[in-house]
Amino acid sequence: MASKFGLAGGIPERRVRPIWDAIDSRQFKNALKHSTSLLAKCPNSPYALALKSLILERMGKSDEALSVCLNAKDLLYKNDSLLMDDLTLSTLQIVFQRLDRLDLATGCYEYACSKFPSNLDLMMGLFNCYVREYSFVKQQQTAIKMYKLVGEERFLLWAVCSIQLQVFCGNGGEKLAMLAEGLLKKHVASHSLHEPEALIVYISILEQQARYGDALEILSGKLGSLLIIEVDKLRIQGKLLARSGDYATGADIYEKILELCPDDWECFLHYLGCLLEDGSSWSNGVHNDPINPQKSVDCKVSQLPDEVFHSRISTSLAFVKKLQADTSDDFIRCPYLAILEIERRKKLHGKGNDDDIVEALMLYFLKFGHLASFSSDVEAFLQVLTPDKKTEFLAKLMKTLDSPATVPTKALGQSITIFKIQELTGNLYKLPCAWCVFLLHTYTCLPYATSKLHNPLKLESCAVQMVKMYCKSLPLSKDLDPQESMHGEELLSMVCNVLVQLFWRTRHLGYFIEAIMVLEFGLTIRRYIWQYKILLLHLYSHLGVISLAYEWYKSLDMKNILMETVSHHILPQMLASPLWGDLNNLLKDYLKFMDDHFRESADLTFLAYRHRNYSKVIEFVQFKERLQRSNQYLVARVETSVLQLKQNADNIEEEEDVLKNLNSGVHFVELSNEIGSKTLTFNEDFHSRPWWTPTTEKNYLLGPFEGLSYCPKENLTKEREENVRRVVEKKSLLPRMIYLSIHSASASLKESVEENGSKSGSKISSELKFLLEHHAKMLGYSLSDAVEVVMGVSSGVKSFEAFGSDEIDWINFAVFLNAWNLNSHEPLQPDRDQCSRGIWHVVDTLLVKYISEKIKSMESLVCSPRVDLPILVQLVTEPLAWHGLVIQSCVRSSLPSGKKKKKGGSMDRHSSLVLNGVRDSIQSLCDILKEVAKWIRGQIDRPEDESVENILSSLRKKEQDEGPGRVFHVLESLIPSINEAEHGGRICQELKTWSALDVARKIVTGDSTLLSQFLNICESKIKSFQALKQQIAQI
Amino acid sequence: MTTIRRFSCNDLLRFASVNLDHLTETFNMSFYMTYLARWPDYFHVADGPGNKVMGYIMGKVEGQGESWHGHVTAVTVATEYRRQQLAKKLMNLLEEISDKIDKAYFVDLFVRASNTPAIKMYEKLGYVIYRRVLRYYSGEEDGLDMRKALSRDVEKKSIIPLKRPITPDELEYD
Repeated sequence: MASKFGLAGGIPERRVRPIWDAIDSRQFKNALKHSTSLLAKCPNSPYALALKSLILERMGKSDEALSVCLNAKDLLYKNDSLLMDDLTLSTLQIVFQRLDRLDLATGCYEYACSKFPSNLDLMMGLFNCYVREYSFVKQQQTAIKMYKLVGEERFLLWAVCSIQLQVFCGNGGEKLAMLAEGLLKKHVASHSLHEPEALIVYISILEQQARYGDALEILSGKLGSLLIIEVDKLRIQGKLLARSGDYATGADIYEKILELCPDDWECFLHYLGCLLEDGSSWSNGVHNDPINPQKSVDCKVSQLPDEVFHSRISTSLAFVKKLQADTSDDFIRCPYLAILEIERRKKLHGKGNDDDIVEALMLYFLKFGHLASFSSDVEAFLQVLTPDKKTEFLAKLMKTLDSPATVPTKALGQSITIFKIQELTGNLYKLPCAWCVFLLHTYTCLPYATSKLHNPLKLESCAVQMVKMYCKSLPLSKDLDPQESMHGEELLSMVCNVLVQLFWRTRHLGYFIEAIMVLEFGLTIRRYIWQYKILLLHLYSHLGVISLAYEWYKSLDMKNILMETVSHHILPQMLASPLWGDLNNLLKDYLKFMDDHFRESADLTFLAYRHRNYSKVIEFVQFKERLQRSNQYLVARVETSVLQLKQNADNIEEEEDVLKNLNSGVHFVELSNEIGSKTLTFNEDFHSRPWWTPTTEKNYLLGPFEGLSYCPKENLTKEREENVRRVVEKKSLLPRMIYLSIHSASASLKESVEENGSKSGSKISSELKFLLEHHAKMLGYSLSDAVEVVMGVSSGVKSFEAFGSDEIDWINFAVFLNAWNLNSHEPLQPDRDQCSRGIWHVVDTLLVKYISEKIKSMESLVCSPRVDLPILVQLVTEPLAWHGLVIQSCVRSSLPSGKKKKKGGSMDRHSSLVLNGVRDSIQSLCDILKEVAKWIRGQIDRPEDESVENILSSLRKKEQDEGPGRVFHVLESLIPSINEAEHGGRICQELKTWSALDVARKIVTGDSTLLSQFLNICESKIKSFQALKQQIAQI
Repeated sequence: MTTIRRFSCNDLLRFASVNLDHLTETFNMSFYMTYLARWPDYFHVADGPGNKVMGYIMGKVEGQGESWHGHVTAVTVATEYRRQQLAKKLMNLLEEISDKIDKAYFVDLFVRASNTPAIKMYEKLGYVIYRRVLRYYSGEEDGLDMRKALSRDVEKKSIIPLKRPITPDELEYD
């Protein structure tokens, strides 16, 4: 850099360096001082000015920075004698970029390049500008210019990548691929290629055009030697051969790869695909949906004649057996699992039978049954078995335990695997649990009576046996480092699953609390187990103690890209919670991560260009687009604004500031209109979710027990897509509807007071009506029918059931309908007679009735989960809050303002009717909020010890009793028997800190924390309504 | 059952089950993407059946002269796939690339001095403790710089342990 400094607009380096040093050490004031003295000496140096603008921008003075930067740019343009050096330009570029004015930066480089058309540095700078702007065509043109100038391979590849980007991410047609190919071909003929990545790009362009033969020829020619790792080359060859339909040669290639990498499962699937002449595994790429890939490879039923099919299958079997014989590594599983895949294909072809699959499963179990990955390895193969065969397989598994593995950890691993297979097949919940007794006996050598085998114990006993096995296995982990996962950890997750199932069946909260205790206990022994934390997070969420759920979420330290894939565990619950501060942090951190990435991504793309990793260029651009289309990102953007509106709803002036910053909600209406045509991406990783809530929208525990365990979990992405669209479409109308409602309310009173009907009033009215129609349509009704529903429910003619699960949307609709009606001269229901007061009353009634119903339905925490709490919170913080704003707007407009004094006592009929409605509304909302507050206080004020005792009492059971508490009893009775010799010092130490009482107390305190926050919200609203009451009394 | 292939951006959306582990750091995007953009051959993922991420390794190649070396920035394996020698496979791959393609002299890595299980594993793979870096981890915990010589370092000069510990600012590379 030193030499470059010397060239910076002719300023000596010694003068510039102190400025850079100060900037680097973030001493901006000092930097500015140096910059001022530099400018005194060189007032017309664009570089000196650029530096000043950089400092100003860093100091947060954006406007000043822009103006100085524009000055520098003007000077640069004006003074022809000055050098257009890259350092000045890149400094300007940095500032313009940070000021979100990429266009100005590009303009500078375009100008510079037009003045010095053969300066490569400037052209690279310009290319970089186009990369930042995602202008693929201009990138291509600039790269071609550079290529023509110096003939370097890399610039040609920059152009080719820019062309590919037009095809993949732009509007470029297929002809462009031909153009790219032509360019490469010509270059290869004269200069050959020197970079492996260039070859990969060349091949992929041919592949895009289905020119597999040509690609293969190139690969096997001289250029092929660019790929140093043999397997990499073979993989490409195999794929090209298969895609060209030359399956026979393809199979040979894949054999070669498997000989080199015998554990490569994907390669084996390709091999089998080639043998059976089935190309599905190449067309159905992993990359179509990287987050929710298919569990088993999609394959077509083979069209081969039976004879050929048999011979191919024999070939594959012989090859796999050979691989088995050739590998001595005990950890190589592929050649063994391969047998299962071959049997599966046979079955799909109608030539296999379940017995062979079961036998292959057994063989695989005998070799790898102790591994934690066994059940996920075989999951896809279990799915093809009939229920009877699954049971038969399980029976065979049990039999193996007659002679369990001699190594204790292996024996434990096998036993856990059997439990997992039972869970996976759903049999855990159907089988008589005598299986468990049998299993436990084998592992722990506990005495058991054979007769018990035929005595179907209950599911609960299964959990008891699992937890006993867990206790029994603890000594195996005595010497492990606390950072290492312990043997048998999975058992407690499975116990939790069974207990939740029991809760679902019996509705006995004791089981639910027990599940919590089991996991908390496990985390006391080793606090790093994320699987337990996620389960606990969901248990606490369902219980209604979201504050504790959030604590566990925080302990997972989810950051960066994990916020995109993992925050679904907490975000939806938080959106409906009163923990606004925490929710705000959650949304802010997530959006910051995403926006930072969008800002940086182009520079990283350019880095890939510079380092000649061309395939990464395409990958980066596609990835950025994928994140930009993330459904969660969209939801978070809308919800951040809704949160701000909720937080400020008690003060109309503050709310108006929020709305102003949201451009009165106009952008969100546009978003709502566009959402239907947008392709959304779903990047959430749902694998770690518990069975009872496999996606954010589903919670099976809310419904009645249906005799299912929902294992294995379904892939529900498609179903979600529709739902997310609907949510975003509706939610993004909110800001605008709130804005229009406030204005509609004030216009209605102003107009009547001023008696000169304003145009803006009717504009507002027609826009609001349009949005109401839209809103009604989203609820599945026409406007008039929706009005009828709302009226019907309010008057009691219809029940709340009419709202379905969209209750909040319906009541919001009623609120905005009322606001529109205030300023509309159209009758609500043309064929009915009604007075203005009618609709005020409807909204009040709906809110009051619904809120009181929710309060009544909620028992204390220790009786049942508070599943209605989120709805109650939403009712108060959304529709009630928006209605409050309409009221505030009415009151404000009715108050005598300084200049325009209303004629004393001459209020017209409309205004007085409205104000009567407002008065009644304030009274009834205030009353209902007081009731909510009273309910909350009632909960908070319960003696803590009493609540704690209630929680614990549901668990105090003796082992022999049935009902909740048996599992917990096993854990508690472990503690006295713990000793250092057997369990090791660490486990003993940790267990000393265990206290069920502390956990119960934590639940009660967590509940109070949450409710206190809700109480604060209610009290603030009550205060605001009381103030309004006083104001209105003066009118 | 390990298909080891180059790591791609989409794998960032799939690696949650690996990164939820408390010892696996989730870096910011520019960190991952810089590695992908500069050293794609040093960033690999291992896929298991059902397209599950079993683990991954990220690293780079850097240095001058005889300190031209491969560096392991992170290697991690999902809980479900531990105790199957997957980390060894991933490490061997990075060593092979450093050795055969980039002709490096050695491979090095940093590990928390308290992370005994990891240190033991690296020792089994042929790494030796080259030197201690005082307060390397957030200014609190010492780091151990471990090295393994490659074929180009015929005399194994690169792994002769340094006698004294060093401070992070004495490190040649980040």
